[in-house]
Amino acid sequence: MGLLTNILLAPFLGPVWGTRWTLEKVDRVVRDELTDDTPIKEDLMALQLQLEMGEIDDDEYVRREAEIMKRLREVREWREKFGMSTSGGPVRVAESGEPDQ
Amino acid sequence: MIAAESVSAATDSASIEGKYVYCIIRNDRLREFGEIGIGSGARVYTVNHKDLAAVVSDTPIVIYDPTRENVLAHEFVNETVMREFTLIPMSFGTIFRSENDVRALLNSTYQAFTDVLDKMQDKIEFGLKILWDRDSVVAAIERDNDEIRRLKDEITRNAASSTYFARMQLGRLVEAAMEEASNRYVNDIHEQLKDVSVASRSSKVIGDRMILNAAFLVDRKDEKAFDERVKAISLQYEDLLTFKYTGPWPPYNFVNIKLKLEKAT
Repeated sequence: MGLLTNILLAPFLGPVWGTRWTLEKVDRVVRDELTDDTPIKEDLMALQLQLEMGEIDDDEYVRREAEIMKRLREVREWREKFGMSTSGGPVRVAESGEPDQ
Repeated sequence: MIAAESVSAATDSASIEGKYVYCIIRNDRLREFGEIGIGSGARVYTVNHKDLAAVVSDTPIVIYDPTRENVLAHEFVNETVMREFTLIPMSFGTIFRSENDVRALLNSTYQAFTDVLDKMQDKIEFGLKILWDRDSVVAAIERDNDEIRRLKDEITRNAASSTYFARMQLGRLVEAAMEEASNRYVNDIHEQLKDVSVASRSSKVIGDRMILNAAFLVDRKDEKAFDERVKAISLQYEDLLTFKYTGPWPPYNFVNIKLKLEKAT
């Protein structure tokens, strides 16, 4: 589309661009949220601490741990959908060899 | 024991045997460590390459959830191996498809593993988490800090007329004094542990009561001295702080070899 078309159609295209931009941004925010397991791992550590400090009993721990594992698996599934790296599962030495230390 | 539902099958090839790797040690002979592995006590043994050995057990190709049960199984193997060997711990859940793939790891990372094993020779890790009791710390601050004590007395005396501003001011002063106290405790504790440890690493604190979440690397010969020092410090701070002291661990927080691994399909 040329400059002229842009100017002529500006009132119509404007909002569409705006919408698309917003959607992309929302998309990215949602995606970051879906694929980030940091807060889930923090919850797991906090839960372990609660058990160690005797603030919750074993049954409570097991119940809440199961919820956290479910959330971790969901993040893993999203990461796989977006083609991002995941930990765990079978691995082998990469072709390029030499490790960084 | 670990039930089938505590692991999630990653692929439909879950029946294929893989090798779960716990750690790397220096040993040029095959070794058995007993039936203590992840997944209902699998047999733990070594896969060797030159003078290096990976400590492994057979496993279906699955993704292990980091449940307490699974993580404890992983750690228990490392603790057992640690009684005899200096080890480089692998991260939880690392699985290779075959012994050959494990040997390829030992071969391609031979130099880095060797260097780190030299560096970690006879070193162990201790974990120290310190939590405070907010009420006791506030009480101590109100006792020791003149400005805060005066302001508080004033507010209490003139409860009706004391301003919102004065209360805000008191809140801010207490917050600042608490942060200062937290830093002072942490610095003092680090200082006292310096000559009985080789290095320390602090992680993010967990929850709002924790002021220190640290790991200390300690020479085996200093284990007793470190132990005694931690006990002495915890007595010194008995009224204010709770110490969660764990170990000895393998040097989980002091080994950082970035392995170039890819997904084995």
